[in-house]
Amino acid sequence: MSAGSDSILDAFLYETNTLLEQLDSIVLAAEQQDTFSEEDINTIFRIMHTIKGSSAMMEYNSLMTIAHRAEDLFSIIRDKTMDVVPEALRPELFDLLFQTIDFFRGELEHIENDQPLTEDIDTLLQKVNRMINQINASEQGAEAPASQEAAPAAAASSSGSDAFPYALQVFFDEGCGMENVRAYMLVNSVRDLCAETDFTYEPEGVGSDPATADQIVESGFLLRFRTQEDRTNAIHAVTSAGAVRTYQAIDTPAPEKAPDSQPKEAAAAPAAPAAQTAPADKSPAPAASAAPAAHAVPAAPQKAEPPKPEGGGQHHKESLISVNLNKLDHLAAVVGEIVITESMVTASPELKGLKLDAFTKSARQLRKLTDELQDVSMSLRMVPVSGTFQKMNRIVRDMCKKLGKQARLTLVGEDTEVDKTIVDSISDPIMHIVRNSMDHGIEENAQQRIDAGKDPVGEIILSARHTGSEVIIEIKDDGQGVNYDAVLNKAIRNGLASPDMEYSHKDILNFLMTPGFSTNTEVTEFSGRGVGMDVVKRNVEEVGGVVTITSEPGQGMTTTLKIPLTMAIMDGMEVSVGGSIFTLPIHNIRQSFKITDADLIRDAAGGEMFKCMGSFYPVIRMRDLYHMEGGVTNIQDGILIWLDAGDLSYCLFVDELLGEQQVVVKPLPAYLNRFNIKSHGIAGCTILGDGNISIILDVSNLYTAAR
Amino acid sequence: MTEQDVLYDEMMDDGSDTPHVETQTEKYMLFVCDNLLFGMPAEAVVEIITNHVITPLPLVPSHVRGVINLRGQIIPIVDIRRFLGRSDLDSNCIIILQVEDNQIGIFVDRVEKMVDIAVDSILPAPAQNSRDLVCGMCSLEDGQTMLTFDCAAFLEHT
Repeated sequence: MSAGSDSILDAFLYETNTLLEQLDSIVLAAEQQDTFSEEDINTIFRIMHTIKGSSAMMEYNSLMTIAHRAEDLFSIIRDKTMDVVPEALRPELFDLLFQTIDFFRGELEHIENDQPLTEDIDTLLQKVNRMINQINASEQGAEAPASQEAAPAAAASSSGSDAFPYALQVFFDEGCGMENVRAYMLVNSVRDLCAETDFTYEPEGVGSDPATADQIVESGFLLRFRTQEDRTNAIHAVTSAGAVRTYQAIDTPAPEKAPDSQPKEAAAAPAAPAAQTAPADKSPAPAASAAPAAHAVPAAPQKAEPPKPEGGGQHHKESLISVNLNKLDHLAAVVGEIVITESMVTASPELKGLKLDAFTKSARQLRKLTDELQDVSMSLRMVPVSGTFQKMNRIVRDMCKKLGKQARLTLVGEDTEVDKTIVDSISDPIMHIVRNSMDHGIEENAQQRIDAGKDPVGEIILSARHTGSEVIIEIKDDGQGVNYDAVLNKAIRNGLASPDMEYSHKDILNFLMTPGFSTNTEVTEFSGRGVGMDVVKRNVEEVGGVVTITSEPGQGMTTTLKIPLTMAIMDGMEVSVGGSIFTLPIHNIRQSFKITDADLIRDAAGGEMFKCMGSFYPVIRMRDLYHMEGGVTNIQDGILIWLDAGDLSYCLFVDELLGEQQVVVKPLPAYLNRFNIKSHGIAGCTILGDGNISIILDVSNLYTAAR
Repeated sequence: MTEQDVLYDEMMDDGSDTPHVETQTEKYMLFVCDNLLFGMPAEAVVEIITNHVITPLPLVPSHVRGVINLRGQIIPIVDIRRFLGRSDLDSNCIIILQVEDNQIGIFVDRVEKMVDIAVDSILPAPAQNSRDLVCGMCSLEDGQTMLTFDCAAFLEHT
């Protein structure tokens, strides 16, 4: 498995990405309201704080600096409520936050790809600083109560160390390095426990001045508290922080001490066990454990601050673990093999004719358990599409701003769960389609929409739903729809269509997904980057899905992605042709017939058809399509299977139906891709119970190959 | 650094024709296909299997015999005889190769033995030889000539 430092990095990336996603959705929601709720501010503050801490731990200084300033910004907003930000400044604040999020994302990407971090963070830093100044300036002008609040604080701090009689001297592990940063993080976690004005630390400037590291090594890091109770809390934070060698509580007698702190101490007592249990089950990773410990404490009654919203979320977090996807892949593979091996054992030909009551009973039980195991292992890989969907909010928002259009995104069925690999591979296609809808679909300006009798605000509906074995994702906009003439002209110009042919609307829509087609003559920032719908189609097909586009001029366009729920295991029908065995996906099969030659209708071109329920369906003979030597030729000796795939419907003629079986889909060896057999309807293969290989057919490609 | 490493390094530095040092050898596996004696670099050979059921694939060139199930892995099998345009022989010997990331099996007449070949005794093959599968030639002690099998080219051309 991976080395220690790698797993810390993985954890850092995972945690930070999760936080950024959370941040993104908070800011998006807040932008709608044009304000932050108190809860949001606290959450953002905490996220910035955590990012700062963990980046400092990983020595990503640029990340740390930005997060630090953003945290400062929000500490001002938190202390003085959202009112401190004048209305006029708010859009700027939101933009700034989005820029910050983008910056973090960019940096994380650099880290993932082992690239050096951006050194030049001054622009963003300046923006944040300017925002802080602007907020401060506007606040000084108007808000009298705020300055009142600040006054006692200033008075308190001026009274010096006498006012902080309870000291805590912390020594870090020898040679652990970065003592100043560690001290700084300690200060941060203490800051969560008690108000800024209730403690001081020495040496000061640990956050910015590396020289203080030596001083800390020499004489320890000194934290001074106003009350004993704060110190008790801080001790928990100190013990849960990493690399702390020892700490010592030092009491400086102060005149005001006794009467004031006594009752509070009592209040601190019940809080203490809570705080102790929290760090106990944490891993020793300092950044990760300092923060949760800090979370646990604010719930205690003595705190003046309102309880943190994370109190509930904390619980939730602990019941989840993150697992490397490779392990899940491996699990799925092993479970797949177990399912097959199970049927190999229980259906072994050697058992035929034997009367084995106990064996049969146990085998049945085994069957039940393996089914359950399979269900569980599959469910592990299922994740809701909401993560991917939520990202689109941001894209729609950014593009509205950039293009000066008005549009909203409506999400339907975000909870729909899909296999993790599929979620990953549809993220880009969906993003591309949403961009297309924003760029080309939604009308240029609101007036055009009003003239067309539509709501001036455009709507993009992103929906996901299950249908048995497939998940259907629909991206629907209510824009101007596809201009068929323009698309056809473009296709002719690009040499994809010939000018003297008649094309149906469906054919024209298909041009959109042909490589080398992009309707916009200019390359914009958002779409038309040379990658078009053809890439979307390819990505979706890679996970076994299909893309269809429908459009009604003036009414908008709908792009539908139909994707199998999971690619790993499927229900298949085994059929034989000649000596070969093929697997057809059960969900494609509508019916099967035994027919006679008289039922077969032939057309002028020699094609065969079969009439069923009032419609004619083409008949494809597997034997002829695949040029196989064996296999039956008389239609009455074989069997006809009526297949459905998307909007295709046809009959396939095979020798024999062998039976239904759950199969583990194995991709074809990469070597065979050069023969282009995928486009001839071969999707993969699977190993049958007796060890033989069966070829899995792709019903829609098979039809295309036969035409 | 051991003595062996020093020697090895010197050889790499001076080129292959340094006369005074011990010659560097490589292991080759000899196999026969239509009376041609091929040598396969031993590091490319995963295993040799016999009597395996091959599942034919439709719509592939005839030299691709199909796929086999080797302990749960699907491995494509290429028939060297057919690739070279020769008639089929009743044999059942498959060599499983690891070429880059691919495992692939080749269908051959029979496997002979392993030999150590001095690296500098392998001479470049004349260009027109045997449809690009040979990247060098070498005379063996018993007088036979070994054609070194070019795995990369094989993967590319078949």
